Amino acid sequence: MELTEAVPRIGAGRKNRKVNVGHTERNASLMGGAALAITGIKALAGRRLLPGLAMMVAGGMFLYRGKTGYCGLYEAMGVDTSGPAPGGVLIETFVTINRTPQQVYEFWRNLENLPSFMRHLESVKVTGENTSLWKARGPAGVPVEWDAEMVADYPGQLILWHSIGEAALPNEGTVEFREAPGDRGTEVKVSIRYYPPGGAPGKAAAKLTHAVTGAQIEEDLKRLKQILETGETATAERTNNHERP
Amino acid sequence: MKAVVWHGKHNVQVDRVPDPQILNPRDAIIRVTLSGICGSDLHLYNGIVPTMKEGDILGHEFMGVVVELGSGVTNFSKGDRVVVPFPISCGDCWYCKQGLWSLCDNSNPNSFMLEKLYGDTGAGIFGYSHLYGGYAGGQAEYVRVPYADVGLHKVPEELSDEQVLFLTDIFPTGYQAAENCSIRDGDTVAVWGCGPVGLLAMKSAQHLGATNVIGIDRFPERLEMAKRHCDAEVINYEEQDVAEVLHHMTGGRGPDACIDAVGTEAHGSGMEAAYDMVKQTLRLESDRPIALRQLIRACRKGGTVSIPGVYSGFVDKMPMGAVFAKGLTLRAGQTHVHRYLDPLLKLIAQGAIDTSFIITHRMALEEAPAGYRLFNEKKDGCIKIVLNPRLASGASA
Ligand SMILES: NC(=O)c1ccc[n+]([C@@H]2O[C@H](COP(=O)([O-])OP(=O)(O)OC[C@H]3O[C@@H](n4cnc5c(N)ncnc54)[C@H](O)[C@@H]3O)[C@@H](O)[C@H]2O)c1
Ligand SMILES: [Zn+2]
Ligand SMILES: [Zn+2]
Repeated sequence: MELTEAVPRIGAGRKNRKVNVGHTERNASLMGGAALAITGIKALAGRRLLPGLAMMVAGGMFLYRGKTGYCGLYEAMGVDTSGPAPGGVLIETFVTINRTPQQVYEFWRNLENLPSFMRHLESVKVTGENTSLWKARGPAGVPVEWDAEMVADYPGQLILWHSIGEAALPNEGTVEFREAPGDRGTEVKVSIRYYPPGGAPGKAAAKLTHAVTGAQIEEDLKRLKQILETGETATAERTNNHERP
Repeated sequence: MKAVVWHGKHNVQVDRVPDPQILNPRDAIIRVTLSGICGSDLHLYNGIVPTMKEGDILGHEFMGVVVELGSGVTNFSKGDRVVVPFPISCGDCWYCKQGLWSLCDNSNPNSFMLEKLYGDTGAGIFGYSHLYGGYAGGQAEYVRVPYADVGLHKVPEELSDEQVLFLTDIFPTGYQAAENCSIRDGDTVAVWGCGPVGLLAMKSAQHLGATNVIGIDRFPERLEMAKRHCDAEVINYEEQDVAEVLHHMTGGRGPDACIDAVGTEAHGSGMEAAYDMVKQTLRLESDRPIALRQLIRACRKGGTVSIPGVYSGFVDKMPMGAVFAKGLTLRAGQTHVHRYLDPLLKLIAQGAIDTSFIITHRMALEEAPAGYRLFNEKKDGCIKIVLNPRLASGASA
C-alpha cells in the first residue's frame, strides 16, 4: 500500500480552537509527534500495517496538538494542562462492513457520497483539492453550512478533516478503515468532534447539534454498510409517498 | 388490496389498504396465492410480542406469483411461481454469506431496537412487529419482497401450493430444529408441542435417522397426527407425568435430544404455571418457559436441547444448574430458511417428505379473524390454517 503523504498536513487552525495543552508540552508534543509518526511510517514499510497505522495516528495527533495546543486524548481522559475548560462534543462509532478497506475508503473519499447515508447532510460539494462545502439540514429547513478541509488522507486507511473559516458549527472528524480478522471485511471507526456555538440556544447550528448524536451517526454508518454491501438502503415503507424521517 | 391487519390484542380484521410498491431496485411484488397462519402469529395475536402497531399487516408464510420486479432483479421474471422465506435477508453481509440468513445485518431498518434489547439485531421478518423491521406481511393479496434476487425461490409447476407452502417457514424450522440435535443412530428425540413445527420436527428427526421419536402435547387430534403421520410415540402431559414416562421409555437415560416446539406461551397447570402466568401478565417475566424447564430436566447427560419455539425476553427459574451439571448443549434461533430451500424442495419433489398433511382448515382471506380465533383456542381440531385470497368467503373446506 502506498502512502500519499509522509506526515499529515495540518490545516489552518480555527480562531476559537480550544487550548488544553501547556506551552512546554506543546513543543515536546511536536517533537515526540514527529518521531512517533516517522516510526509509524517505518513500521508500515515493514508491513506491520496495523500497529504502524496506530502509531502514525497517535503521532499525527501529537503533531496536531503541538501546533494547535489542543489534544483530543487529553480531553477524553479529562486532562487539561492549560487551564481553560475543554470544549466540544466527541462522538465515536464503529461498524464492520463486508468490503475491503480500499472499497470503503474510496466510497467515503468521494465526499459527495456522504449525504447518501448521513441523514443530517443536505449536500457536500468539493470546492478545491482539499476543500469542500458542507450543507446540513437545519431545524425548520434552515440550512447550516460550513467549509471543510481534509488534513490527512491515507488511501484505504484514514481520512481526517476539519471545518475552516467561520463555521457555524465548528467540527473535525476522523474515519479509520482497518481490515477485520478472518475475512470479516473492514472495521470502520468514525470520530466526530464538534463545538456547539455557545450562548445562543435559538441558533440553527445549536439546534443541529441535537440531530448529530452518537445514535444518529450509528444509523448513518448502518446505511453506509447497507449501501456498500447490498447496493440500497433497507426500508419497510409500504409506498414511496412518505417523508424522509 | 385486502390484507389481514392487526388492530390490537385478539383483534385482527381484513381491511382495504394501499397496494405495495417497488421502493428499492432489488424489490419484487408478489401476488399471494396462499398464506399460512403460524404459531408465531399467535404470539402477536395474544399481545406477547411488543412493538406491534395498529394497522400492521400480518403474515410471514406465503407464496405466490411475481407481478413486478425492481430494476436490480434479473434472475426472476414476471409470472414466476415462488415461495418466500420468512426472514428478510440481504445475501451480502457476513452473516448471510455464512448461511446465517436469519441473522442478516442489513435487512432490519429498526435494528437499534433489537440492539437495545439483545445487544445485536436479527434479520427483518415479514409481518412480525416493529422489532423485526415493521415490514408488511403476506396475509394479503399482494406483498413487497425486498432483496428478491435472494428472497424468492422458484417452485416447479407439478407441485401444488399446499405441497410447497411450508418451505417458507415451518418445514425448514422443524428441519433445523432436528438438525441442531446432531442425531446419531440409536437416538431418541423427544418433541414438546405437536403443532405444525413440532410435527415437522418429528418428521425431520425421522428423516435424519432418529431411532425413536416421542411427541408431547395435550390435544388428542395433535397426538393422533404425531402417531399416524410422524411414526411417533406420544405422551399426553395432562394424563401422564412426562418426566417419568420419558425415563421409562429410555431405559432411565432420558432422550438424547429434546426439542421445544412450544415456545413462550407454554400451557401448564398447578403452582408453576400459575407463577409464570401471573408474572407474564404483570410483565415481570416476558416468557413462560414451562416446557423448556421440563426439557432441560428430562434431557440425558451430554444431550442437546434444541429450541425452535420463540422466546422474546426473560425467563424465571431456568434450571441453569442442570444445564451445567449435565453438560447440555443449547441451540436456538430463528430459522435460516434460505439455506434449506433447495434440499427440502428436493425432498418434497422426490416424495420423501410430504408436509401438507398438517393442513386442517382452508379459508378465504376474509375469514382470517375467525381463523385466528379458532387456531388460538385450538378449537374444531384446528392444527394449521391456510388462507387463499382467491377463495370466496364461506366456501372454506
Ligand atoms: N424458530 C423459528 O424460526 C420459528 C418458526 C416458526 C414457528 N416458531 C415457533 O414454534 C412454536 C410452535 O409453533 P406452531 O406453529 O407449531 O404453534 P402451535 O401453537 O400450533 O403449537 C404449539 C403446541 O404446543 C403445545 N403445548 C403448549 N404447552 C405445552 C406444554 N407445556 N408441553 C407440551 N406441549 C405444549 C400446544 O398444545 C400446541 O399443540 C411457536 O413458539 C412458534 O412461534 C419458531
Ligand atoms: Zn412462522
Ligand atoms: Zn445479510
